[in-house]
Amino acid sequence: MRQSQLMLIAVAVVAILLVSTAAVFVLMKEEPKKLRMATTTSTQDSGLLDYILPTFESKYNCKVDVIAVGSGQALEMGKRGDVDVLMVHSPAAEQAFVAGGYGTNRTQIMYNWFVIVGPDSDPAGTRNATSAKDAFQRIHDNGTAGHATFVSRADASGTYTKELGIWSSIGYNNTTVVAFDTSWYKQAGQGMGAVLDMCEDLNAYTLSDDATYYSRVDVALIPHLNITKQGDSALKNQYSVILVNSTMWPHINKTLAKDFLDWISSKAGQDVVKSYVKYGHQLFTPNAPGYTSTTAIAGFVDTRLFEDVTAGTGEVPEAMLMAKDTRVDAPLGRAMDGA
Amino acid sequence: MSDAVVLKNITKRYKDVTALKSVSLTASKGEVFGLLGPSGSGKSTLLRIVDLLEAPDSGDVEISGETVHSDSKEAFHTRRRIGMVLQKPMVLNRSVENNLAYALRIRGWSEEETQKKVDRELKRLGLEERRKKNARTLSGGEMQRLCFARSTIFDPVLLLLDEFTANLDPANVALLEDMIRNYASENKERTVMVVTHNLFQARRMCHRIALMWEGEVVEVADKKRFFEAPEDERTAAFVSGELVY
Amino acid sequence: MALEVSYDVIQVTLLSLYVSGCATILGSAIGIPLGALIGLKEFGGKGLLKTITYTMYGFPPVVSGLAIYYLFSRAGPLGSFGILFTPTAMILAETLLVIPLTTGITIASVAEVDRSVKETVKSLGTTPRQSVLTVMREAWVGLVMAAMIGFGRCIAEVGAAYMVGGNIKGETRVLTTVIMLETRQGHFDYALGLGLVLIAVAMAVFFFLRLLQEKELL
Repeated sequence: MRQSQLMLIAVAVVAILLVSTAAVFVLMKEEPKKLRMATTTSTQDSGLLDYILPTFESKYNCKVDVIAVGSGQALEMGKRGDVDVLMVHSPAAEQAFVAGGYGTNRTQIMYNWFVIVGPDSDPAGTRNATSAKDAFQRIHDNGTAGHATFVSRADASGTYTKELGIWSSIGYNNTTVVAFDTSWYKQAGQGMGAVLDMCEDLNAYTLSDDATYYSRVDVALIPHLNITKQGDSALKNQYSVILVNSTMWPHINKTLAKDFLDWISSKAGQDVVKSYVKYGHQLFTPNAPGYTSTTAIAGFVDTRLFEDVTAGTGEVPEAMLMAKDTRVDAPLGRAMDGA
Repeated sequence: MSDAVVLKNITKRYKDVTALKSVSLTASKGEVFGLLGPSGSGKSTLLRIVDLLEAPDSGDVEISGETVHSDSKEAFHTRRRIGMVLQKPMVLNRSVENNLAYALRIRGWSEEETQKKVDRELKRLGLEERRKKNARTLSGGEMQRLCFARSTIFDPVLLLLDEFTANLDPANVALLEDMIRNYASENKERTVMVVTHNLFQARRMCHRIALMWEGEVVEVADKKRFFEAPEDERTAAFVSGELVY
Repeated sequence: MALEVSYDVIQVTLLSLYVSGCATILGSAIGIPLGALIGLKEFGGKGLLKTITYTMYGFPPVVSGLAIYYLFSRAGPLGSFGILFTPTAMILAETLLVIPLTTGITIASVAEVDRSVKETVKSLGTTPRQSVLTVMREAWVGLVMAAMIGFGRCIAEVGAAYMVGGNIKGETRVLTTVIMLETRQGHFDYALGLGLVLIAVAMAVFFFLRLLQEKELL
């Protein structure tokens, strides 16, 4: 029975495949409406989406498929119509995206903070820097002198764009930065977590988003790294939601995408964002247009309370915030007197 | 059409060696025809050409009166009426009974018919108890007997044997030679061509014998004359054991 | 919490098996017959074809992922099928990687089959198709090896799977992409644990394949 033995084996294999296929489909819930969202890895890793999306999904009876890639890749996916909506944090690139006609309804929804992170010893003295720009200058000068190291994301991420922006604001354009001497400026081309691990290893500085920093601290991977500079308005990391152009890509679920945008910029959505606490911090500050928080949560700063001072720019002078600081390591997590 | 095999001016070259130089010979239906000669004389090459496994560079091959080219469609059908046993027992990696059944199955025989024939052969070979065992577990002699049975189970009109006992001990040699002899005498339609370098074997088995020497047919004669009164001096030398092989 | 986690792990593991299994079967169904034909037939350019096949062993998985992405992106030629970010796209990307392996190993396996086997079956009166099938059966051990190596390639694949699958929760997460995610988030222990799960699952599959390989097709 040679033929029939082979047949038996073939049947067994097919049976196993069918069973596992069935299992896969059974375990996956039936398909409600779907919204495809591209976002960045740091956004996903912060856990925010796992926290806020269930609320949206049950309210609109849908499922959101989150694809987390680098900023550059997310925008590229939007250009190609492979996703319905983007949640990214790379303002300059976003503006180019919208200007190119690839997306509409770009709406800012929340921000968090970049922080400058460095070794315990702080060889570049960034703790004494007066601003983020000053801190970067100090890192540059100490780096070229051989006392400090900086690890850069060196990818198309929002963090890297921010880093380049700060270098540029103190006179080093992109070409110059990329040509910084490799003895002190390391271009990693990796994700934030990996870069932080590298800094731990190399006693180096980097620019990080606070969420990733805290998550690394939480798993005790970077015991010798600390935040050395934070809260400078130059370090603000603005998130926006952009709808992919549905005229260009008719297959897009534009209704659901709009629903998401409306929801997350509504008071309900913004409140949910505000309530997300991890590692002992409120990680994101909602700032969709028109959002006012009626009750301030400890640690939440409502910039609208400073409108007379900020003249509507939303940028609070640090001195004002520092005055009320009671917690050592919270980025803008300051208790408000009388709030 | 009493000629089973007719070869006309067969020439075959391998690179710069001419294995066969315009060989012509005829084997009649019903006879056991021997191809005798030292190693390198071209006997095996000739047999492969008869089995339509290779094409000669020039010359014709006629099987049962029809000229056949090894690449043609007719060759396929003709090959199905020829059986070959090689020097080294070559069994497939499967059971004894499946080795036997192989030739019948590829011809599309029904399972019922196949089983009947296989059972008969197994009995004849005395391998009934080991029918389901892997054929590679058989001894050398058993394997070669299996190869013989496998190559004759489909009742070929022409059986080709290429040094088929060269690897066997005398007891098995005798057994196999008996099998061939019985096989040939059972049915006068059957023709056997035996390639051997063993002149005693040729004398035991063949009706007519050809001596090959360096790619040429030196002499063809019936057994009696071949051994007792050869015409060519090389034949005489070979038969008396002087030609070293 | 722990139960939730293990529910996810089960789903991810099953999807891994599904994607890798399908890609292996598809890649073997294409590669093994292709390899047998290339290995057994004489034709002009055979040597070149063999070289190309072997060279593709080193085909970078990310390029396979990129190729599938380009093909099935909405902006691409086959975008209307909507395959991107589904397990199907992952299967296709992995199949591309498997085909050179199954083809090449089959070529070598059938070449290794003794020449006299090929001659014997030809002289027994096989059609070319029957010859090829018999030689393939004689090369059984090598053919199962081809499938094994194909499966190994698939179950370990991460780059292409992430790129064309998107690592979507509940949809296109497989063990390797989840390991990558967890590593990125610094959950090294959990990632290692998943790695062990992957190895255990692979071991089960290879155990079965080995049984298949050693089965005497008598």
